[in-house]
Amino acid sequence: MNTRLLMTMHVKVGTPLNIGAVPHGTRRTAPLDGGTFEGPRLRGTILPGGSADWLLLRSDGVLEMDLRFTLRTDDGALISMRSFGLRHGPPEVIAALGRGETVDPTTYYFRTMPRFETAHPAYVFLNRLIAVATGDRRPEGPIYTIHEVL
Amino acid sequence: MSVPIHSRPLMVLRLTTSATQDIGSTPQGTLTIFPVIGGSFEGERLRGKVLAGGGDWVTAHGDGTVTLDLRVTLETDDEGLIHMTFTGVRDDANHYFRTVPRFETAVPKYAFLNRLVAVGIGEIRPEGPVHLIEEIL
Repeated sequence: MNTRLLMTMHVKVGTPLNIGAVPHGTRRTAPLDGGTFEGPRLRGTILPGGSADWLLLRSDGVLEMDLRFTLRTDDGALISMRSFGLRHGPPEVIAALGRGETVDPTTYYFRTMPRFETAHPAYVFLNRLIAVATGDRRPEGPIYTIHEVL
Repeated sequence: MSVPIHSRPLMVLRLTTSATQDIGSTPQGTLTIFPVIGGSFEGERLRGKVLAGGGDWVTAHGDGTVTLDLRVTLETDDEGLIHMTFTGVRDDANHYFRTVPRFETAVPKYAFLNRLVAVGIGEIRPEGPVHLIEEIL
């Protein structure tokens, strides 16, 4: 499988809301209060409001992520991005992340599959691609390295 | 820190479909349903057959792209059942056909499928669609 870098995204996470125990696991939501993205073909900011993560901690210990972002490029285009992702790893690593520590991102699995929607002619190539991202959960918020699947 | 993307083969999935059900032009696009009546899958860690009863809901859009929405049941050669879905995009003008499969199973031996994300590279062959599915490591 060949990929190429699409963008690196730094996300600012707001105060999460704990929904609690639901039939499928433990549900939490987190507003995404902003951030930036930058790549060879696009760059800009994440808009707060309409950007959030719906998290579900499953009974098998896997954290499912359902992310929605609105991106605004530096030339004013709006891009809707949605990703599905999974995060899991050794209990001690996940516990360290839970305590807000900085952890080597290669010690756990944090992958997402973003899809994009835009009407802006300069960015319609995003409508036609599948992407894969690796995540690095930092105390201040995740960093996603997003690759286009060629 | 940026973690590089690595992948490894998970399976080759071959689907057998029957006559399409042409729903036609809807507000979402032109919808064609491909009933899946069988097929096979094979990889180092699992192999078996595709059970009849699934399908692929394929929508052609005005920009020339086609989106896919598949659900099938896989049965491994040791009788494990695996629910598989994928969404995907096909852009024939650019020879691009990629999918994002997901798996759900209760069989402990195959529980690793519940914990991975994957990407499929699709091909339309005379005998039917073939998907080369890779696990994202």
